[in-house]
Amino acid sequence: MIEFRHVSKTYAGSDRPVVNDLSFEVLDGEICVLVGPSGCGKTTSMRMVNRLIEITEGEILIDGEPNTSMSGTQLRRKIGYAIQQIGLFPHRTIADNIGTVPNLLGWEKGRIRERVNDLLDLVGLSPDEYRDRYPAELSGGQQQRVGVARALAADPPIMLMDEPFGAVDPITRERLQDEFLHIQEDIKKTIVFVTHDIDEAIKMGDKIAILKQGGVLAQYDTPQTILSRPNSEFVSSFVGGDRLLKRLSLTRVSELDLGPANGGTDGLPRISDGLTVRDALSELMGSGQSKAVVEKDGEKKLLTFQDIEALTSSGAMGGGKRSA
Amino acid sequence: MSDLALLQDVIGEPKLIDWNWLKDNFWEYIVPAFQGHIFLSSISIAIALVIALPVGILCARYRKAYPPVTVVTGILYSIPSLALFAILVAAGVNVGPTPVIIALVAYSLLILIRNTVAGIDAVPPETIDAARGMGLTSRQILFRVELPLALPIIVAGIRIATVTIIGIATIGAYIHGGGLGQLIFDGINRQFPTMIIAGAVLATALAIFADVVLLGLERYLRPWARARRA
Ligand SMILES: Nc1ncnc2c1ncn2[C@@H]1O[C@H](COP(=O)(O)OP(=O)(O)OP(=O)(O)O)[C@@H](O)[C@H]1O
Ligand SMILES: [Mg+2]
Repeated sequence: MIEFRHVSKTYAGSDRPVVNDLSFEVLDGEICVLVGPSGCGKTTSMRMVNRLIEITEGEILIDGEPNTSMSGTQLRRKIGYAIQQIGLFPHRTIADNIGTVPNLLGWEKGRIRERVNDLLDLVGLSPDEYRDRYPAELSGGQQQRVGVARALAADPPIMLMDEPFGAVDPITRERLQDEFLHIQEDIKKTIVFVTHDIDEAIKMGDKIAILKQGGVLAQYDTPQTILSRPNSEFVSSFVGGDRLLKRLSLTRVSELDLGPANGGTDGLPRISDGLTVRDALSELMGSGQSKAVVEKDGEKKLLTFQDIEALTSSGAMGGGKRSA
Repeated sequence: MSDLALLQDVIGEPKLIDWNWLKDNFWEYIVPAFQGHIFLSSISIAIALVIALPVGILCARYRKAYPPVTVVTGILYSIPSLALFAILVAAGVNVGPTPVIIALVAYSLLILIRNTVAGIDAVPPETIDAARGMGLTSRQILFRVELPLALPIIVAGIRIATVTIIGIATIGAYIHGGGLGQLIFDGINRQFPTMIIAGAVLATALAIFADVVLLGLERYLRPWARARRA
């Protein structure tokens, strides 16, 4: 668990804090996304966890211990680190890059080799093909995969990720996000994830910390709560006018409680139950029909606009003024 | 050829290239001069590197040190070589190889330091950030990341400095530094072109050879920049 306790940061030569009295907890195995407008202190907050930036006031506890209880380098070897610019070592092969931290920790060669192969497999790059290449011989998306693999190399319980999928096109980004979420289901790391993209935050986060200018925490909640009960004008405008739709994208059709389809399903559109409700709604509207058939466990169910409406009105769809 | 040869015979001037002289003096004169030249150049570069690398690294780290270092080495670099040799001798350094080596080292410093700093500067900041973020110490970052990445640029500096030095070293013979300059100066004194040409040709050949070898080394040191294999 990572605990921010009244953390503030004022850079030398400035009198205004860029992170201001930040307090929140990241539970084990959860992804906490720091999101907010440019310059609001997301990167600074993240980099204080592994002490690439020193805290001015307050403290950060990792599993109850202040992160100052060991040397900065020792601390950093225990925390995975992946950044948007990736920062692969251009003069080292992919295998050497991924093996950096295990190497620092003194693992033996065979073990590093095996670990590198496993990680390349994990991020979807064939070890035989990519091990011995140099970073310049990889596409941007492949480099970001390697960056994530490198951060995972020594199996650190905690990961810091600063816009780790920021440098690729939107389609590749979606794929990398999906793949990473899939990996996370198994590895259950405790992750601080920085992005300026609210959609990415909603997709990746178990919790979202929305920061505003001056490094003040505006709201810290689950994506659902942030979308349904933004606690301020700032949060609701940051989340955007389409937060209703965003909420729909948090639920999959398979999670809906649908009624059975009795007879007469000919001519109705078919919708896969793996889709998000938002995509299902889009398909339904596009089809020109008022209902669609969803096949679930070999059973035919009926999806109607009412089902979707029920979802949006369930729970409190706040007017944006209530506090969480 | 016959016209020119005839003319020379008539006037009695020495032949441009006296092959017999070359043959007779090869082992006891030309080869030692050549070896002396290699010695002068390589020892100078080696000493210059021992100074320039730490100074360059320091300048890259502590930016404030760089301008004064540039000024000092820049001044050294711009003193006419003959004058520098003379100044050193006048300052009490015995004639011979020592003042020559001192001067050659002084000439190399600017280029070597500048390329060391440029090489370290050229390391992408995100690479260093990632290295720090993974827990490399400053020393590990220097030796495992910055210097290897800077090495090709440093070697490029060594290449330029070496070629320059091989040329300037010939003048060192004026203060009895030895080397191929000896052949050239002797040739001028005796009005014997064969010696001048032998000295010049060998010095040029040595410079070209060093250039090619170091260029090869520079390429070899950055396998990662070769064309994509895929
Ligand atoms: N080394 C530094 N020295 C002084 N000020 C800094 C330094 N690094 C960042 N800042 C300032 O601190 C503030 C927060 O920067 P930070 O990088 O944390 O923002 P961010 O939320 O990550 O922004 P972005 O989304 O653009 O990456 C900015 O105003 C920035 O100018
Ligand atoms: Mg940032």
